[in-house]
Amino acid sequence: MTIKMTGVWKTFGEGHTAVHALQNIDLANPQGEFTTILGPSGSGKTTLLNLVGAIDDATEGHIEVAGVDLAGLSVDELVKYRRENVGFVFQFFNLIPTLTALENVELVADLTASNGAERAAEVLDRVGLGDRMTHFPAQLSGGEQQRVAIARALVKEPPILLCDEPTGELDFETGRMVLDLLQRVSRELSQTVLLVTHNAAIGDMADRVLKLRSGEIVEDVHNDTPIDATELTW
Amino acid sequence: MVKPLHRKLIRDIARHKPQFIAITLTIFLGVAIFGAAFDSYTNLVASYDQTAVNYRFANLTIAGGDTETIAAFAGSDPAVESVEIRTTADVPLRVDDTKLLGRAISVPAGDQPMVNQLEIMTGSYPANGDANVVLVEDHMASHFDLAPGDSLDILIGDTWQHVTVGGVALSPEYIWPARNRQELLTTPDNFGVVFVSEELAEQITGEGPNEVAVYYAAGESDEEVSAALSAEGRELGATNIYTREEQASNNALTEDVKGLEEMAIFFPMMFLAAAGLAAYVMLSRLVHSQRPHIGTFLANGFTRRQVLVHYLGYGIVPGLIGSIPGAIVGVLLARTITRLYTGILSIPLTVVDFYPTTLIAAIVFGLVASLLAALAPALVASRVVPAEAMRGETPSGGGRRSLLERVFPPLRKVPAAWRMTFRGVGRNPRRTIYTIIGVVLSLMLVLVSWGLIDTTRHLMDRQFIEIQREDATVYFAGPTATEDVAALVDIDGISSAEPALTMPVAISANEAHYETALTVLQDDTEMHRFANVDGGWIDLPSNGVVLGQATRDLLDIKVGDTVAMTVAEGDTIRPIVAAFVDEPLGTMAYVGRAHAEALTGSALPATSALISYDEGVDAKVLRNTITDIPRVAAFEDAQVLFDLMQRFMVLFYAFVGVMLVFGGAMAFALIFNAMSVNIAERTREVATLLAVGTERRSISRYITAENMLVAAMGIPLGLIIGTLAAGAALSSFNSDLFTFKLHIQPTTYLFASLAILAVALISQIPGLRAIRRISIPQVVKERSA
Repeated sequence: MTIKMTGVWKTFGEGHTAVHALQNIDLANPQGEFTTILGPSGSGKTTLLNLVGAIDDATEGHIEVAGVDLAGLSVDELVKYRRENVGFVFQFFNLIPTLTALENVELVADLTASNGAERAAEVLDRVGLGDRMTHFPAQLSGGEQQRVAIARALVKEPPILLCDEPTGELDFETGRMVLDLLQRVSRELSQTVLLVTHNAAIGDMADRVLKLRSGEIVEDVHNDTPIDATELTW
Repeated sequence: MVKPLHRKLIRDIARHKPQFIAITLTIFLGVAIFGAAFDSYTNLVASYDQTAVNYRFANLTIAGGDTETIAAFAGSDPAVESVEIRTTADVPLRVDDTKLLGRAISVPAGDQPMVNQLEIMTGSYPANGDANVVLVEDHMASHFDLAPGDSLDILIGDTWQHVTVGGVALSPEYIWPARNRQELLTTPDNFGVVFVSEELAEQITGEGPNEVAVYYAAGESDEEVSAALSAEGRELGATNIYTREEQASNNALTEDVKGLEEMAIFFPMMFLAAAGLAAYVMLSRLVHSQRPHIGTFLANGFTRRQVLVHYLGYGIVPGLIGSIPGAIVGVLLARTITRLYTGILSIPLTVVDFYPTTLIAAIVFGLVASLLAALAPALVASRVVPAEAMRGETPSGGGRRSLLERVFPPLRKVPAAWRMTFRGVGRNPRRTIYTIIGVVLSLMLVLVSWGLIDTTRHLMDRQFIEIQREDATVYFAGPTATEDVAALVDIDGISSAEPALTMPVAISANEAHYETALTVLQDDTEMHRFANVDGGWIDLPSNGVVLGQATRDLLDIKVGDTVAMTVAEGDTIRPIVAAFVDEPLGTMAYVGRAHAEALTGSALPATSALISYDEGVDAKVLRNTITDIPRVAAFEDAQVLFDLMQRFMVLFYAFVGVMLVFGGAMAFALIFNAMSVNIAERTREVATLLAVGTERRSISRYITAENMLVAAMGIPLGLIIGTLAAGAALSSFNSDLFTFKLHIQPTTYLFASLAILAVALISQIPGLRAIRRISIPQVVKERSA
């Protein structure tokens, strides 16, 4: 699924307190492209992700996904868009503490499939948590929790995967394992991935690296030879 | 200059305005009810006391026996200040065409009596020589619209004697117009009091004074003096002795005021407990969400005491804002309530004082409740480990399957979203428990108030429909032959008539005495049913007397014991106790006519007839027909008495209405706070669900279901505890005059439960609206929700 942003601005506040989180962004991501977005805090990385995920709206400009302008969608259509097209992976996992790993994934699987539990179990198995399905988040390590979060994002098999600092809370080994998982699955499903990170080293595994500063794209580099995540070091 | 920490406190409160307003309002209500009820109670007691002193209300009244000797004995006691000898007689009165069984009480001519003085409302106190001038008691004057110069008739012998109304008077003995302790409720068409000259009183009774009224030094009650004078009175043949506390009107008023005292404790306690719970729930959440800030404070050199004091501030602020105006409003309201109350009851003296202790106590109660609520969260805040707190989110705790899923395994198959709902109930057990307690408290408030109505209605139905079966009572001017009673059925409209003989009686056993009325009924009476204390109905026994159940403890007697019963003339009979009956109103004695005649050895007359109507009869027409009969003194339609009581119920309805509104407000405050916290705590989860494409209305549905489940869990417990509380509250009103057995209608339980669920549903609206305002990008990025 292609993503196209044209003249996108995102401004918070008004008048002299206005902050331009994104300024005149033009961007096109073809289907299946793995893009990492780098930049210091406050550069607009997460805002850009949120706009693509339709959990926030642009102040100006157009965001088209598969040729559909998100600004033209109603509230219900946006819900449907998120439900069918977007998978989110958050830095802080955001798992429901009262649900088991399986149930956390099933909760989302139920939105699009009638056999939610089966689908959830399959995906958890795929992310290596087949033996931890009945565990509650508090009984899982950080890496395991993030894998549950990835499984939750993948269970709908969304064409777009948005990952916001997915390794930010993880140690090196676990972080690399999570990135490997993301890379493998997204390749298998030909997903368009936008991955926000502070970590420049992660850019080596991506097809494309965007660098943002103060809401503007300051560097847009295509990487013709992305390495496997397992080869990453930082 | 406001310190930053104080500024934080103010801003935090402003940020959680609705929750703090809910807490403050609950404290306000609790404190205001306390101030209003307690000061009203204090004012009314003071008004009664002052009335008693100003009008020299008798501390002891001794009727019957050797009056002169009793008076002399009483007068010789140094503790006695005044003794008054007088004549009291129940006598037929006639005002225009209405006959009633009234009461004539003698007063000295020219001067007020030394005991039981009167307040002359209009007209003047009768002068010497005005033997045919009477004073009419205020209630009777109002009902018949009598004024000085009007006239009425008193039946003396067989002749109606015309007397002139000289004035209208209030008496401390008839502030509540009751014939006697056993008949606290009478219709104004059937009872009225006139104060007559001694000369006229002697004509009525045909003999001299028959009552001694004693007033102690400074009007203070003295049990020892009362006991000594009572013992001597009985020795000298007195048949009815009662203290000021036992006097019918005073007793009724005291019971009534007791309700205010109960209210001054029970209801404020509930409100303050509810406010405390609401504050606790909210502040616990606040402290939890501010752990990183607390950690920062401590890391930067704030002392734990400073943190403790800061978070106690969240209790002090609503405590002060709620309790200071609450106390002031309560105290001011008490003045209005007191004046309304004394105005309605025509209490001659109204004492409205300012009691600083009530004001201070009310403020302290409100403050203590909110401080106690803040203490636990504040202590938690002061004990935070800075490094741990600043690491961010605290461990989310282990999840587990809900009890529902464990008990009903099929529930494990329901969609994960609904499983989330079930587990949400047990997610924060402490908060769930406090929400349940809130529901329980609210139901207690509702059931105690509503239970009072249901019980009173049931009590009235039981007394006036199930037990007393007569349609009307016809009172005769004097003893009447039973054959004359039987002849009443010849009158059109009367289907049956039974003779009844009612007389005052003193029952004695085990050196204890109890004064009541003995009614001799037809052996196979169909006009009165007897409810055994075991719950069944029994026939009037052919051998022995039937006594009201209160005598069992008062006289320490049981079925089969022999008791002494002394009637007005001083004759004593000694029947056995055949049964104890459970009657809601009064503690009476009943005996079958054949057995009574066997005990006395003579045929007994009737003083009244219990009649039942033919179907469709016009009671007013029948009343006129019957009261035209010369020997008939009065006619009392049971329905009129029943309707009169129903009118009193309007006050109950008003009271319950107010309590329901307050209960609803309290439930709202508590549940609203719990729900708000519940929703606030899972903001990030909600945002995550929204981000993955769950509809907002679905999320609202899950959260609503979870909260309603918690509220529903509290309902059974609330109904049980509410019923127990209502029973306890009612039992405090129980006496020998009233037996309140809790009776709550099933529909009351149903409506109370539905009302609580409705409040729970409504109280979620603000929280659910907040879900609509959740900013997904902001929340999912935050480290802790």
